[in-house]
Amino acid sequence: MKVISSICPGCSIGCGLYLLESEEGEGKRIKILHRKNSAVNEGKLCEFGTHLHVYYGREALNNTADGREVEQNDAIEEAKKRLYGMKPEELAFIALPGTVTNEEILSFASLASEFRCENISFGFERFFREIPEEASYIIERGLPFSEVEKASRIILFFVDPFVHYPLLARRILKAKKKGAKVVEVAFAKNERGIADETVLVEPTAVAGIKEKKEIFENSLIIGELTPYTNLQFLELMMWLNASTASRLFLLKPFLNVTGAFLFGCGYFSKRKKDLFEIIDGIEREEIRALYLLETDLAGAMLGGEEVTKTISKLDLLIEQNAYRTVLSDTATITLRSEPFFMKKGTIVNIEGRVLELGGESEKGLQVMENMGKGRSYEEVHEEVKKRLGLPTLNEFVIAIKREERSFDMAEPKIESEIEGAEGEGYFLWYKTNPFFWCGVRNKNFVEISPAALRKLGLFRGDEVEIVQGERREKMGFKISELPPNLILAESKLSIKPFKGLLTGVEMRRADIKNKKIEKFL
Amino acid sequence: MPRYYLAWAKDERIREKGANGGFVTATLVSALETGFIDAALVVEKKSVYEGIPVLTSNPEVVKECAGSLHGAPINLTKYVVDYGAKKRIGLPTKPCDARGIIEQAKRRQVNLDNIVMIGLNCGGTLHPLRMREMAADFFGFDPDAVVKEEIKEGKICLVSKEEGMGEKEKWVKIDALEQKGYGRRDACKSCVTKIPTSADLACGNWGSNDTQKTFVEVLTEKGEAILKNAIESGYVEIEEAPGEGIEKRKQIEAGMQRLAEDWKERMDEVSALSRSERLEFYVDALKNCIGCGACKEVCPVCACEAGAKCLDMNDARDSYVVSMYNMLRIFHLMDSCIGCGECEDVCPVDIPLTLIHRRFSERMQRHLGYTPGMDVKERPPLYETELRWSAEE
Ligand SMILES: Cc1cc2nc3c(=O)[nH]c(=O)nc-3n(C[C@H](O)[C@H](O)[C@H](O)COP(=O)(O)OP(=O)(O)OC[C@H]3O[C@@H](n4cnc5c(N)ncnc54)[C@H](O)[C@@H]3O)c2cc1C
Ligand code: SF4
Repeated sequence: MKVISSICPGCSIGCGLYLLESEEGEGKRIKILHRKNSAVNEGKLCEFGTHLHVYYGREALNNTADGREVEQNDAIEEAKKRLYGMKPEELAFIALPGTVTNEEILSFASLASEFRCENISFGFERFFREIPEEASYIIERGLPFSEVEKASRIILFFVDPFVHYPLLARRILKAKKKGAKVVEVAFAKNERGIADETVLVEPTAVAGIKEKKEIFENSLIIGELTPYTNLQFLELMMWLNASTASRLFLLKPFLNVTGAFLFGCGYFSKRKKDLFEIIDGIEREEIRALYLLETDLAGAMLGGEEVTKTISKLDLLIEQNAYRTVLSDTATITLRSEPFFMKKGTIVNIEGRVLELGGESEKGLQVMENMGKGRSYEEVHEEVKKRLGLPTLNEFVIAIKREERSFDMAEPKIESEIEGAEGEGYFLWYKTNPFFWCGVRNKNFVEISPAALRKLGLFRGDEVEIVQGERREKMGFKISELPPNLILAESKLSIKPFKGLLTGVEMRRADIKNKKIEKFL
Repeated sequence: MPRYYLAWAKDERIREKGANGGFVTATLVSALETGFIDAALVVEKKSVYEGIPVLTSNPEVVKECAGSLHGAPINLTKYVVDYGAKKRIGLPTKPCDARGIIEQAKRRQVNLDNIVMIGLNCGGTLHPLRMREMAADFFGFDPDAVVKEEIKEGKICLVSKEEGMGEKEKWVKIDALEQKGYGRRDACKSCVTKIPTSADLACGNWGSNDTQKTFVEVLTEKGEAILKNAIESGYVEIEEAPGEGIEKRKQIEAGMQRLAEDWKERMDEVSALSRSERLEFYVDALKNCIGCGACKEVCPVCACEAGAKCLDMNDARDSYVVSMYNMLRIFHLMDSCIGCGECEDVCPVDIPLTLIHRRFSERMQRHLGYTPGMDVKERPPLYETELRWSAEE
């Protein structure tokens, strides 16, 4: 029985835990042990964290070149040779920073520059282009949860903490116990009634919130920033923040997103190509080679099948990962790294704590260093510490602090039209969560309103069909107190949003009856 | 053989490192060395605030784990179930560990013949993070500089070693701490099982006047055998416990039980509420459940697997404010909850599960005349478990 101190890779909160690894027959068995001394989460974990052994039980990726299993060194040599064979502008590097350490981010960025590649994305670059530099700290840095607990007024801006970031919910509940007032600005009322006041917003009238600016005064605004966030929506949050006495705390989906902002894609990277632009570049066949680091691109993105199709246009796909992904079979070269819990290295959580992983493996980093500068783990780790200005690490210290600054922000124009939602249409709103980003469908249903139930004549056991052009998806449903035309989905469907995470769709009763609902766990 | 002893490790290093003379450690080491057990499940100190379970066959590891960690509120039951299946294991058990293991034995999840429980009396554990806050707020110490903790005669002692400042030691009355909301976990404050009488031995400092002698009560034949083994293999020395020690231990236990009853009343926010307010209290607390399943995962008496009723009858598509999962768990645990508070510790939305379960289970257990975890021969009264018993008989 081996006990490894670890961090949950499910979201940017970075809950601490122990993993107990034991031999069982041929394989290894992993069990979660709640780490009550963790400064971040006191040993508590959400559904994702509690079932991490499922996440870590996926099929491992092998080292391959052109579909053949090879030794890792040969795969590395082959990757290096082929990358040098491409023009820098034909190359792209992508890492969604869920299971990458600070050390790996540094190594990945330096590897990209080794090949003189400018197209390197960690998923957030485009946002920096449209915002003033003085405001960039809001994207780059989060806040300690003690600030949430201390707040006297909290605005939940289209965030359901119980779903999006479950370990944030208890901090808000604690603030409430101390007397904080919680106001939610949302398309639908939170079913758990966490808010003292709800400001309901029509999906087509988000701009209307500008007229209610005064509710944001003296508050802590909690919102979310994901690669899918609509830019106008981000500008709106920032404008509300800039024009009131408030603070804005943006939660993000990937564990080491703060590390990525520090070492890979902060404001300094604003001219770099963004994730979606790289995918467009591949579609247009301008980008011909892609290096994916620890990123299940098809699983993480909406419309995974289209992404897979686009990726198949590449001449060279290098996938470095611990586990197989949908794209592994398409990859020219696959490079096996170790699962996150086995890694050595550091991450920065959304609060600004620099946390150390308890594993021993340097394999992922060495794959990149063997292709690039050839540095040892210690050298890269020292550079991380130097750049962070931290001689020692302590999880109880908020090392990456943020200073509130005032900035000017022009009033954003919000376009209300949402494609495909005219007339009798519905709006589908994705409620992101840790399962969402790793492509696991843990809920096989959508939430609909009682009005929709009546209108479609649905019965228990029925399914609904959600339609968007050619795309359609059959799902179970749950009745929630929603506006008549709203549909909520916590799992990724084949429906791709037009803007942000909201999209217009049609819905009808599906003709399959009493289909057994599959359970994820 | 008499029932009560004072006992200690012969090896001076074990004696020094042990909480009260290292009897427990020496007994486990001797059991390993002589093949009495295959492995020991002990708690490794990571820091003053943290301990992790370790299953080992290496006596040196067991020696390293000597000492009591009051800031490590872990229940060892599920580790015994998961890792002790094919081994003969020995382990230290607080009353809630022993009770959990007994309940698992009733549910055929562990074979008690293979397990030796060296019970530890327990006044309670502290949540590690509350202990850090206490070190800063009450003791005026930098929590990271605390190198030692000890609990004795109703007081807690912290020793801090800050750079260039030497060692500082401070004792504070636990009662004073608890009046201010610090101190032991709520579950421990209200726990009335202070001596693990369902274990094979019960060890503690109550009844011993010597800080390096453990007071030991022999409770079973297995307990007697492991003690004999430790003496005969030269690891442990004993003397008969004096009558006044036995009496004093009884008195302390009774005093602690009265205090626990007192705490139960003080922490009970529900009894004084009207019927509708009570309903509001339960709904308010349980509606926050996010369905993570952690409470079931850590529950030391739950032996149900994937097909558990609480999971099976729960459908995430139901729009109930309080889920079937919670309702079923409350009903299911009414005869068996041992009140250890593990579920509350791991609940991501801080539902006061200890209190909620206690409100239902205490009454039911009184009504059934059944105390879970105390006697392996006493069957859990609720019918579904009985069906399982009769099916296997
Ligand atoms: C949390 C706690 C509270 C206690 N409260 C009392 C009390 O109020 N009155 C009393 O008479 N005695 C109490 N004891 C027992 C006492 O502290 C000694 O453990 C006992 O006297 C045996 O001493 P020893 O030197 O023989 O044990 P040692 O040789 O030091 O062996 C102790 C064993 O306990 C294990 N251990 C340490 N921490 C824990 C833990 N948190 N959970 C489970 N196992 C653990 C260690 O790994 C070691 O194997 C308590 C013990 C604990 C762990
Ligand atoms: S997914 Fe996020 S909230 Fe859930 S356990 Fe992991 S880090 Fe914590």
